[in-house]
Amino acid sequence: MKEINVQEAFLEAGYQISPEAVNLIVSHSSPKNLVCYILEHIDESVFVIETEHIDLSSFESEYPSSVKGNSGTTSDVASKVVSDVSSQVSQNSEVISGETPSHSEISLSFATSETVSKVTSEVSSPSKKYSSSFPSGYGSKGLPDAGLNVNSNANGSNINIMSDITDMSTCVGEYMEFVQYFRNRYSKLSDMIRGRITARPIESLNKNRKQGSGLKRSGGGDYSEVSIIGMVSEVRSTANGHKMLQLEDPTGSFLVLVHQAEKDLFEEASKIILDEVIGITGSLTNDGSLIVAKKIILPDLPNISHRREGTWGKAVFTSDVHIGSSTFLEEEWCGFLDFLNGKCDNDQMKELSKDIRYLVIAGDLVDGIGIFPGQEHELDILDIYDQYAKAAEYFSQVPEHIQIIISPGNHDAVRQAEPQPRFPERITSLFEDRITFVGNPALVDLDGVRVLMYHGRSIDDLVASVPGVSYQEPEKAMIEMLKRRHLSPIYGSRVSIAPEKQDHFVIDQIPDILHCGHVHTIGIGRYKNVLAINSGTWQSQTEFQKRVNLMPTPAQVPIVDLSTLRTTLLHF
Amino acid sequence: MAEIVASKEMHEYFNTLEGTLKKEIEIVNNARSKGKDPKPHVEIPLAKDLADRVENLIGVKGVAELIRKLEETRSREEAALALGREVAQGKVGTFDSKSEAIEAAIRVSVAMLTEGVVAAPIEGIDRAGIGKNDDGSEYVSIFYAGPIRSAGGTAQALSVLVGDYVRRGVGIDRYKPRKEEVERYIEEIMLYKRVASLQYTPSEEEIRLIVENCPICIDGEPTEAEEVEGHRNLERIDTNRVRGGMALVLAEGLALKAPKIQKHVKKLKIDGWEWLEQLISGTKSASDDSGEEKKDEKPKIKPKDKYMRDLIAGRPVFSHPSRPGGFRLRYGRSRNTSFAAAGINPSGMLVMDDFIAPGTQLKVERPGKAAGMAPVDSIEGPTVKLRSGDVVRIDRIDEAYELRSEVEEIIDIGEILINYGDFLENNHPLAPSPYCFEWWIQEYRKAGGEQTDGEEVLKDPSQDVALDSSKKYGVALHPKFTYLWHDIENDKFEQLADFISENGILESERTVLKLPHDAALSSGVKRTLELLLVLHRISDGMILIKEPLPFIYTLGLDDGLRKKWESLEHEEVLDNINQITEFEVRPRAPTRIGARMGRPEKSDKRKMSPAPHVLFPIAESGGNTRKLENAASFKASTNAKVGEIAVEIGNRICPACGVETFEYRCDCGEYTMPKLFCPRCGISVNKAECPKCGTKTTCTSMRKIDFKSIYQKAFEKVGERDKLDSFKGVKKMMSKDMTPEPLEKGILRAKHDLFTFKDGTVRYDMSDIPLTHIRPSEIGVTCEKLKELGYKEDIYGKPLTDPEQVLCLKVQDLVISYDCADYILRTMQYIDDLLVKYYKEDPYYNAKTRDDTVGTLLMGLAPHTSAGVLGRLVGFTTAAVGYAHPFFHAAKRRNCDGDEDCVMLLMDGLLNFSREYLPDKRGGKMDAPLVLTTRLDPSEVDKEAHNIDVCESYPLEFYEATLRIANPKEFEDTFDLVSSRLGTPLQYEKFMFTHDTSNIAAGPLKSAYKTLGSMVEKMDAQLELGKKIRAVDASDVAERVLISHFLPDMFGNLRAFSRQGTRCVKCGAKYRRPPLTGSCQKCGGRVILTVHEGAVKKYLEVSMKVAEEYNVSSYTKQRIELIGYDMKSLFENDRSKQMGLSDFM
Repeated sequence: MKEINVQEAFLEAGYQISPEAVNLIVSHSSPKNLVCYILEHIDESVFVIETEHIDLSSFESEYPSSVKGNSGTTSDVASKVVSDVSSQVSQNSEVISGETPSHSEISLSFATSETVSKVTSEVSSPSKKYSSSFPSGYGSKGLPDAGLNVNSNANGSNINIMSDITDMSTCVGEYMEFVQYFRNRYSKLSDMIRGRITARPIESLNKNRKQGSGLKRSGGGDYSEVSIIGMVSEVRSTANGHKMLQLEDPTGSFLVLVHQAEKDLFEEASKIILDEVIGITGSLTNDGSLIVAKKIILPDLPNISHRREGTWGKAVFTSDVHIGSSTFLEEEWCGFLDFLNGKCDNDQMKELSKDIRYLVIAGDLVDGIGIFPGQEHELDILDIYDQYAKAAEYFSQVPEHIQIIISPGNHDAVRQAEPQPRFPERITSLFEDRITFVGNPALVDLDGVRVLMYHGRSIDDLVASVPGVSYQEPEKAMIEMLKRRHLSPIYGSRVSIAPEKQDHFVIDQIPDILHCGHVHTIGIGRYKNVLAINSGTWQSQTEFQKRVNLMPTPAQVPIVDLSTLRTTLLHF
Repeated sequence: MAEIVASKEMHEYFNTLEGTLKKEIEIVNNARSKGKDPKPHVEIPLAKDLADRVENLIGVKGVAELIRKLEETRSREEAALALGREVAQGKVGTFDSKSEAIEAAIRVSVAMLTEGVVAAPIEGIDRAGIGKNDDGSEYVSIFYAGPIRSAGGTAQALSVLVGDYVRRGVGIDRYKPRKEEVERYIEEIMLYKRVASLQYTPSEEEIRLIVENCPICIDGEPTEAEEVEGHRNLERIDTNRVRGGMALVLAEGLALKAPKIQKHVKKLKIDGWEWLEQLISGTKSASDDSGEEKKDEKPKIKPKDKYMRDLIAGRPVFSHPSRPGGFRLRYGRSRNTSFAAAGINPSGMLVMDDFIAPGTQLKVERPGKAAGMAPVDSIEGPTVKLRSGDVVRIDRIDEAYELRSEVEEIIDIGEILINYGDFLENNHPLAPSPYCFEWWIQEYRKAGGEQTDGEEVLKDPSQDVALDSSKKYGVALHPKFTYLWHDIENDKFEQLADFISENGILESERTVLKLPHDAALSSGVKRTLELLLVLHRISDGMILIKEPLPFIYTLGLDDGLRKKWESLEHEEVLDNINQITEFEVRPRAPTRIGARMGRPEKSDKRKMSPAPHVLFPIAESGGNTRKLENAASFKASTNAKVGEIAVEIGNRICPACGVETFEYRCDCGEYTMPKLFCPRCGISVNKAECPKCGTKTTCTSMRKIDFKSIYQKAFEKVGERDKLDSFKGVKKMMSKDMTPEPLEKGILRAKHDLFTFKDGTVRYDMSDIPLTHIRPSEIGVTCEKLKELGYKEDIYGKPLTDPEQVLCLKVQDLVISYDCADYILRTMQYIDDLLVKYYKEDPYYNAKTRDDTVGTLLMGLAPHTSAGVLGRLVGFTTAAVGYAHPFFHAAKRRNCDGDEDCVMLLMDGLLNFSREYLPDKRGGKMDAPLVLTTRLDPSEVDKEAHNIDVCESYPLEFYEATLRIANPKEFEDTFDLVSSRLGTPLQYEKFMFTHDTSNIAAGPLKSAYKTLGSMVEKMDAQLELGKKIRAVDASDVAERVLISHFLPDMFGNLRAFSRQGTRCVKCGAKYRRPPLTGSCQKCGGRVILTVHEGAVKKYLEVSMKVAEEYNVSSYTKQRIELIGYDMKSLFENDRSKQMGLSDFM
């Protein structure tokens, strides 16, 4: 490990380091593990790491194996740690990538922990500090508002926030942050693929090309078969109707051709979208300028996955309430509140309402202000805080035994760039304390059932880019997200991003339920044991929707049995 | 076409112009045959009339003659259709294929419909093709491109009709669309509306109706990056991207102009267009809602706030819609207004903080959308309240300079002069005229008023004369003493009458009325006086009103200030006044016109950016500044040859000696030819297409050239020393063959500090303002010189002797800004240098001073057009505008609503322009002098100019008709309009105007918008002015600026920040997303963001400040607040904040 690499590792984690400290690390027998160790244990208040912050003796006692120089094969420290933890936390029991023995030990000790919440909180302890390579939201212990994280009421309905950007946003809008954001995406997603193919860095292909192509010409068939993992930076059709992809990894970029004649593969390739990370296996052309693809590998969900046991009771999913809009369906909404209170004529419904433990709302609680030009003409409540006050009034009517979780959407009064933090104090203080506010996206654990909440802005992009995905069946877009293990792959289109150090959109922990909204149409689907729910809206057709001929499905609410994940749709 | 009808003098004038033109062409032809120009002769063909222009623009021989023949018996539009048919049938020109003939036919028709001026027929129509219907028959499709927009809706729609007309002529079947094609049109047009904009968006049914029935397939090349989502990869539609030209022709052409096409269809009895009936009736029912309103109500002029939309920071509002205190409409035309230019008193320009200068564009409430501003000092200026409390009207500019710093409030911003013709052109109902002098005097004369009294006496009568006139002849009270009674309510009127009755003192033989100031102020009476525009001064605690008798009588008081009435019976103050007084009092300002600043005036050199002196490519070797000096000393690597640079350049070969070069002419004297090769197969072929693979051949390639020696030789050749301050080339040639200009031309340009445009010409841009009459004194030219130029008599037929005499401006004569004249002078010196040092000829101009430029021939050329108009420089103005006859502007297809276009020295165009330099891309031929109109025929200019009134006064009936808000068409036949003079010698001469102005350059030299620095400064000044003007609600202005400028800017930038692309600082490569390697993939250079934090945040602070200070709506305040939070969240690290806190604890 060179000095420059050490400096980079610390800079990426947000620290500066003195030249003396760099020297010390470089001169150590196992610099990589030492860097890792320092980052895990360093006091957060330190800005510049000096030699005095490097506790060599305790490092050597804690990591005897690493001192022996067993630092694994992967060069990227950060990505390795991520892959380890994600595999452990998701409890897939499948080993996703080669791990070093030392880390396996750690994971074993976690696995013995009894409750999921405990697992996560323990996992979080090392991850929190080494923030550049862990989803920062994992960490909660030690933060000022850690108390909010686990929310439980008299019924023991625990809510555990496992991942959330709130108060963890580090971006200040610099170029390197954008680079780091995408590198982080690449490293997380490529690790998911890496277990399935033996990929080479792109740089090595380019080198071969420069050296001439004699090597490849001599052998036939499999000899020239190569695999790469890359982020898609360009997709186009050639003059002859083939698909040409440009793939990029942190070492370079390369062209991949998908032949039109290969029907199935071409079909697959037509669904490839910009900025997703895929693996390609194929053969190099004679001049070494491009790979002709034979196989496309997506990160995807694992095929075998144990259904967790779940828990008792039911959860209600909704979103896009749009309180304050003149098209907000107040009457239907109040009918819904009545139902939650058990006030309905139908006995079956009354029974049903008793079982409800959670109410989950995935964004666009209010209609907001200034979201689109001329919005003032379509609002009943012009004051943003009045809109939230009205919302608070509605939620105070929800019976106490129901836990409420609310995340923001693009109409809410938080930053537009995603990931979005939870509502600011000024807004949350309008609500009763029992409501849990989270960011967007957020992974929450509802007493053992994991729900990944994401407002769903990226569905607009997916509808536009992936053939066969439409606003009428939003669950298809959500399944595309799961296949890509990413909530919002396409950059620079409709989704605004904040260049955080972590890519919060990567689905590294596999949820039981993926919950989106945004498109105002109900959609329920299932993909490899994950339930995908798009929870519709409480707003009738808007002027904008009229113009683009979109028909919403308002006032319909999916209600999920948390033990079986069986879903029922209620109409109000 | 017959010879232009004109007087002997005018013919003489035209002959002089053409004589000089001929001489210059001869000189240039001689010179060009010696130098290394693309062609050995002038490349701008001359066109005497429309027919010539069309022929030269399209390049089909024989068309001109045909047009002249067809126009003898037909209207322009009918002739165009007939012309198309004859061309398609092969009566003129020779074509290889049917589709080529059809294409040419459509082009000539469209060219004719657009007067052969705009670029639409060459740039807007890509080609015509022939396709196959599913039943095996053939159909015609026309491929439109973006620039078809410049043809206008009618010509666009008619081009389709032409297409149908000619396809019948050559026997091709109609287009039979497939179902998916119809749906594709619908999706695509809706998408185009979203990404670009359409004036009119047809409904889905309308589009379906048009596509299913239109006998021609309207196709087009892709213009937008967006692709359709459904209906992709259709067999007969080449692209999935949006075709802008197609959308325009279908929506703004066929759908919007259906009635006009139907007229022609019926006249020509073409079948297959019956569906237009359905389209027309269908669209009518759709717009019923708005139509009904109009029918039910009496005609009334309603406030319109459309002009207030999209308010920009720093461009102030002068008056809210129709609000008291705003511009008061006055009908008439001054010699520098009409044709979408309006006049205001130059004092108003000064008092309103210099925001309006001559040439500044104002967005106005009516009659049109915008108007260029010209100073007219014979109308009333602003009425202001000074700090002393005095209320004065400032009519004279010297007073304005004196008092501007004393102004506390602008109670009334003065009159705005708009001519009848502008109402006619815009088909705007005539708004009620104020009771003004022009009206009064006609009633006075009609009533038998003394004819002997000079107008001057009657214009500004004493109170006794005014009262006597009303008494003696029964005419209404003179406008001078008519106050704005309609602006106050009855209670104020009563209060005012009572107050004066109780407190007034009439002194000095009843010429002064004194009122106690303090009491008047506290009771609000002073405010009432102000609102009525009763001028007064404060002296010794008293308000003094001069010549108060008419005022006192109007209030119903007698000489002893006793009130003669008890109570008011009517609702309106004016009705009451007319009941209690003996004379009639008329509304003084019934129509107010709202206005705000559009864009500032322009008078500046045309520069590309970065601005080159010569079209010579040096790639990156000159650095970002493209300095040729750097390129000459450039070294690619440490041991590379100095001055050897690699550039993309055209390769040519000499047919005589076989030498390869990039110049147009070989050293042996022979002209070179492009050496073409196929970029795909690499073989050298001398054809436009590769015979092997069909790819288009090219002669351009990356080549190393020894720039240093080229550079040194060029300096040697022209005998100049390499001591230029700045000498810049271009990065890359844009033309097809990429052959550069001779470097020598650039050296001499740089020497004279001139910049070149994309076509090798030197240009100067100015805002267009009309001018029909000049005074020698105001244009900086002596009478002697003007006499030389053919100005013999003034408008009254008196010989020219006095520089104050008013002369009719000749149609092709121009009055340009002094700065422009200096630029022209330098261009003349450059041309002389070029003739002497490069072409080794005699100098032509020998110009030393600015005065030497008078009489020089120029060329006017407007953007989006391709036809220059011959002009002659006759004078200068300090205003930053280009004054020219409205016909001259119309010949360039411009009106004077604040647009700008350019002039260039004619000789420069002749000598240096070449089609070879024009960019090889869509729109490249726009804004280039592809043809020159030498003689201006009023019947062949933009028809808008025919609606200019040129009379000395407006008739009494006109003023009376405005009160009933008459349709302007009522007067079309009786008014002395240009249209009534067409075809007679009077079309050029004996124009008159109703209101004179003493100086066409009065007012500020430059709009304050241009002199103020930052956007914040501009906005402050804008709001300060808003606070001063009574007719403006500054808080509303602040809110509108926030909503239409700052908020969208912040939202847009914030959004752009989070979706931005990146760019390499070294090679300029662009990335949609930052590369994972972090650095440039092409050159390894540093990559940076394209949108920065600063750009996102720049308006936040000022927005918050303005929102607070002007107390805008809480909705807007909250929007700013939220966007502030948004930025904070994006640009501040949550964790560093926390760390900071714990550090302190």
